[in-house]
Amino acid sequence: MAILTRGAYAYPSTSLQYHTGTWRVQKPIHEHRAAPCHNACPAGEDAQAYLAKIAEGRFQEAWETIVRINPLPAVTGRVCHHPCEKSCNRGEYDEPLAIHSAERFLGDEAIKNNWAYPVSPPAPNAPHVAVIGAGPAGLSAAYHLIQRGHNVTLFDELPEAGGVLRTAIPQYRLPREVLNAEVKRLLAVGMKFEPQKRLGRDFYIEDLQRDYAAVFLGIGNRHGREWSIDGVIPRGLRNGLELLEEWVALGEVPTPQSVAIVGGGNTAVDIARVLKRAGTREVHVITHHALPGVDVPPELMMTAIPREISQAQDEGVIVHEFRGIRRLILRGEKVVGLELVHMKKVPQANGKFETKAFEGTETVLHVEQVIPAIGQEVLPFGVEMLLGNQPFFKVDHWGNLEKHPGIFVGGDARGGHGTLSGAIGDGRRAAEAIDAYILGGNLIHHEAAQAVPYSQINLNYFEHSTRHNSPILPVEARRSCEEVEGGLSQHEVFAESQRCFSCGNCFACDNCWTLCPDSAVLKTTETAFDGTHYIFDYDYCKGCGLCAHECPCSFIAMKDEL
Amino acid sequence: MPQMLEGSQALARAVALCRPQVVAAYPITPQTHIVENISKLVADGKLHCELISVESEFSAASVVLGAAAAGSRAYTASSSQGILLMSEVLYSIAGLRIPLVLTCANRAVGAPLSIWNDQQDSMAVRDAGWIQIYCADNQEAVDATIQAYRIAERTELPVMICVDGFVLTHTLEQIEMPSQEQVDGFLPDFQFSRALNPANPISIGTLVSPDYFSEVRHSHHQALLNAQVEIQSADADWAAVSGRSGGGLLSVEGDPAAKVGILSLGSVIGTLRDALGEYPDAGPAKLIKLRTFRPFPEEALREACAGLTDLVVLERALSPGSGGIIGTEVRAAFAGRSDMPRVHNFAVGLGGRDIPLDIYPRLMAAVKSPSGASFAIFDANLDRLPEADR
Amino acid sequence: MSETTIPLSELRRKQPRFSGLESGHRACLGCGQALAARLVTESAGPDVMLANATGCLEVFTTPWPESAWRLPWLHSLFENAGAIASGMEAALKAQGKATKVIAMGGDGSTFDIGFQALSGMLERNHNVLYVCYDNEAYMNTGIQRSSSTPHAASTTTSPVGKERMGKRHLKKDIIQIIAAHNIAYAATASVAYPSDIRKKVRRALAIEGATFLQIHAPCPLGWGHDGAVSIEVARLAVQSGLFPLIELERGELTGAMPLRTPKPVSAYLKMQQRFGHLFKNDPRALEELEHLQAIADHNIEIYHLRGDGEDALDSEGADTVRRGGIRWA
Repeated sequence: MAILTRGAYAYPSTSLQYHTGTWRVQKPIHEHRAAPCHNACPAGEDAQAYLAKIAEGRFQEAWETIVRINPLPAVTGRVCHHPCEKSCNRGEYDEPLAIHSAERFLGDEAIKNNWAYPVSPPAPNAPHVAVIGAGPAGLSAAYHLIQRGHNVTLFDELPEAGGVLRTAIPQYRLPREVLNAEVKRLLAVGMKFEPQKRLGRDFYIEDLQRDYAAVFLGIGNRHGREWSIDGVIPRGLRNGLELLEEWVALGEVPTPQSVAIVGGGNTAVDIARVLKRAGTREVHVITHHALPGVDVPPELMMTAIPREISQAQDEGVIVHEFRGIRRLILRGEKVVGLELVHMKKVPQANGKFETKAFEGTETVLHVEQVIPAIGQEVLPFGVEMLLGNQPFFKVDHWGNLEKHPGIFVGGDARGGHGTLSGAIGDGRRAAEAIDAYILGGNLIHHEAAQAVPYSQINLNYFEHSTRHNSPILPVEARRSCEEVEGGLSQHEVFAESQRCFSCGNCFACDNCWTLCPDSAVLKTTETAFDGTHYIFDYDYCKGCGLCAHECPCSFIAMKDEL
Repeated sequence: MPQMLEGSQALARAVALCRPQVVAAYPITPQTHIVENISKLVADGKLHCELISVESEFSAASVVLGAAAAGSRAYTASSSQGILLMSEVLYSIAGLRIPLVLTCANRAVGAPLSIWNDQQDSMAVRDAGWIQIYCADNQEAVDATIQAYRIAERTELPVMICVDGFVLTHTLEQIEMPSQEQVDGFLPDFQFSRALNPANPISIGTLVSPDYFSEVRHSHHQALLNAQVEIQSADADWAAVSGRSGGGLLSVEGDPAAKVGILSLGSVIGTLRDALGEYPDAGPAKLIKLRTFRPFPEEALREACAGLTDLVVLERALSPGSGGIIGTEVRAAFAGRSDMPRVHNFAVGLGGRDIPLDIYPRLMAAVKSPSGASFAIFDANLDRLPEADR
Repeated sequence: MSETTIPLSELRRKQPRFSGLESGHRACLGCGQALAARLVTESAGPDVMLANATGCLEVFTTPWPESAWRLPWLHSLFENAGAIASGMEAALKAQGKATKVIAMGGDGSTFDIGFQALSGMLERNHNVLYVCYDNEAYMNTGIQRSSSTPHAASTTTSPVGKERMGKRHLKKDIIQIIAAHNIAYAATASVAYPSDIRKKVRRALAIEGATFLQIHAPCPLGWGHDGAVSIEVARLAVQSGLFPLIELERGELTGAMPLRTPKPVSAYLKMQQRFGHLFKNDPRALEELEHLQAIADHNIEIYHLRGDGEDALDSEGADTVRRGGIRWA
């Protein structure tokens, strides 16, 4: 019972006795939501998370954030098709974040400073897992298995690890020194590497199943698809991947005066650029798909990475979109030309797309050679029983091989439009599945958190800024192996990180703390349980929703409390 | 050494002796000479204070409220329309229990407009919760002003010192001005327990709900009643310092055996004193000088009236539609009691009308032949009014 | 579940900002005035004394026996904040103390009933900062129109009906009137730009002499919008040009927040029910909208609010968020 003061004065701060929190019908909560870049990454990287660390100047921690998911950032930062950037919300405001430049920078820094991968060597009595194929999928699987505490023996038929990274990606995209450095550091985390051991020749699936707790196959798709036009195959036909590997390995490749490459994927574009560098005067790419563009529906687009396509065009490669080959024009068994026709994927009544050729649009293209690069399949050597007669292994989301428990597959070998980051993600998921398989645990499929859409970013708190673009080598300087795209400096990467909207994740802007009329948001130096530095004082929070509305990154949600 | 001083001048000097740190000045006849004299004292370096020429009486009262709340002794003066204009603030000051002293140079309240003396202004704010002390002459005013600060600061109640406008403010009188040492010895530095201070940041002026309001009012009312003690002790202590007493709550003069008493307040007491001497046959009469009107000194009044059969209550204000103000309160003091004299309640001298000495015999005659009315404006000439308005 | 190991009452005391206005006050959800008062006292620090006029702020902060203030505070009447502050200032000056006085009142108190006292205080150049929380009506008494209510706004004493389209008269240009007193500093601010408020409060308090700050503060109840969008509404008022953020020193314009791309007034008005009648199918409504747009255009012209570039963000007082709040935790 309050005793009256003279003139009814009140003591300071006594309003704290009254808990206005009782007024609430909705309460603010922190909701970690996914940034779209996170959901878009096939490997599962959280770009927003490592950009946040960069923004705090914590470069090594940023790198560690990446390599908990993807152990090859120096590679992916160069070679990945970075769907993260396409999905970046900032893209709708001015320009998307140069995420791949950040990743590349961190990968290069790690190599330069020899940052340790955040894994410990497994215990000697931990289960042993065999990983076949030291390409991106296999390397990722091996790495993640070690992270989970398993022993790994990594086999590859070639003398060095890297898979297609080494054999099929030209150095102007991925310099050899970078690949070597990153792979060397990765192999050193505690796995046993057995090079020049071929499955089906030096050891067999039964051996693996006997000697190891589980098997991962990352054997890629080394088998070029059969190609012919009306059953006709030119003499000495070499497919694109073969030639690419030859050039990557030997540094030279047969160079006709003019060539037409059939296909719209990365292999087609790569071999086109290689032939240009090697001296072929006229290089054509024939594809019934479309060149990338803003209005082009994804199902119609060429599968090659758009920047590679445009760099190829800068280099003089001529891309014929919506074209197919109707007929080979031969003299004897030699190709002297191609009859091209307009071809397009057209939607059918059943919703599927079918490729149609349009009569009356035929033209002739004079070329000396035709190179098919229409896709690869799994080479069924050593895995015939597992593959059946299929072009690819049939696996589930985790990589479990149908009907063969204990065997897991990832990467190009499982089909689909195989991407580098997809392969790395496959390796990680398979490692989780293998872990559950060996230890008998449950596999929990984590639903991707809903990504924060552009409409929920409070743009009032962001000024427009231009993206830091990587330096691109001028065409004249692209003679052979010179890396076409350069990297950003630390300063530029840092500046770029400042542009990140931090979708769905608090970046300590202080807005909620500043704008609460009831002082019901408190700041703390120690991290609260949800990882932020802000706490809602629910004793006083009236649930007005100002904080949620003014949070720039949509990190605060209002939940009904009735 | 007594000096011949104009009332306002003496008051200004008395205020200066009390060392106020803030004085708010807004002119209104007949208070103007007070603030002008204070301004001259400041200009001549004889009074060191913040003199604020405000833009209305409302602000004058507000300025001194703020000043006292912030821990400084403050002063202002006003009259009539100004008192009415600041009435809202007067309630605020008293309700907040802020110690202040204000001089009211009594003047009639318009409409009709009048610049001359009556006491309607201070009477109009009798319920604001201030202590009200009425002065019979300028010496009393000087002494009362000094005592007022002590009373105000000890009771944490504001004090209004009422002096009849023109009659006192603009007349010359022999005044014994006390010395600075006397005043310094009597008045300590400004004391206010609740002075605002960043080191003790209380909130003054809160919103009080029905659950607590009555108690606040009770304590204020009680404080005013209790102030009677402080008013008397201040007068006694000042008498010890100066040799002069104002009479405490009220004082009684004249024939102690008289059965008829005349009660009044303010400068008319001087007139009545002279009249009692001038018209010895009209009496005998007791003269009761009411000094403190708020708190209303019921007990002292009843004591003073012991043995009276008739009491003339002479006032210079009225409550239109009801009658006399003081007369009503006097009657109330005796309600239900057997010792109540017959009360003859008259208002006189309204709007500055001169009160001649022969008011005394005329009043005594009225006592002998009462009209039966409970109240009348004694010196109103009803012939001047149309029939219907009499 | 405990979210931190430090009890919240203790954490509250360790916040890296001065808290002059505590939690537990009874302001409505999303109250602009509460936020403004919090920001003002935060920037002013502990060595100030407050004179608060009657109104929402005074009422919702001091229901006896509670007070949300942690500063010495006095409320007397509706119309005398300026005079009370003058008296406080005089007393502190006489006592030789450096404590600064801040007078606070709503628009009703400042523009109307208390204007005289404010004018007197400015004329005498008391060392006081007068802060007016402008929510554009007598809100505490139930949303009646004041001279600050904008033209065409609906209030309970200027309602919309067959004969009327809200308030007939224009919003009083108080800042120009204040500036005409030739004081050292007079400025307008908005709760949508808290850093700007802080900057202006500190600038004003550093000046010896009378200063004035008019802070635009949305009233969700009176303006007819959800408490969650109070900042958004306040921001649109500024970005449309209807409430320009300017600084006037000795009557001269010395600062203005540029609007690089002014928003149309309709974007601001349509968020508030008090202007809802302007979006009905009524020719009078269209005329009123045009009138309000013309007023905004006029403000942009006379205060030279046109900057260049995109978006209305003043770089100096900008509330573009920066990472790093953690560093101050």
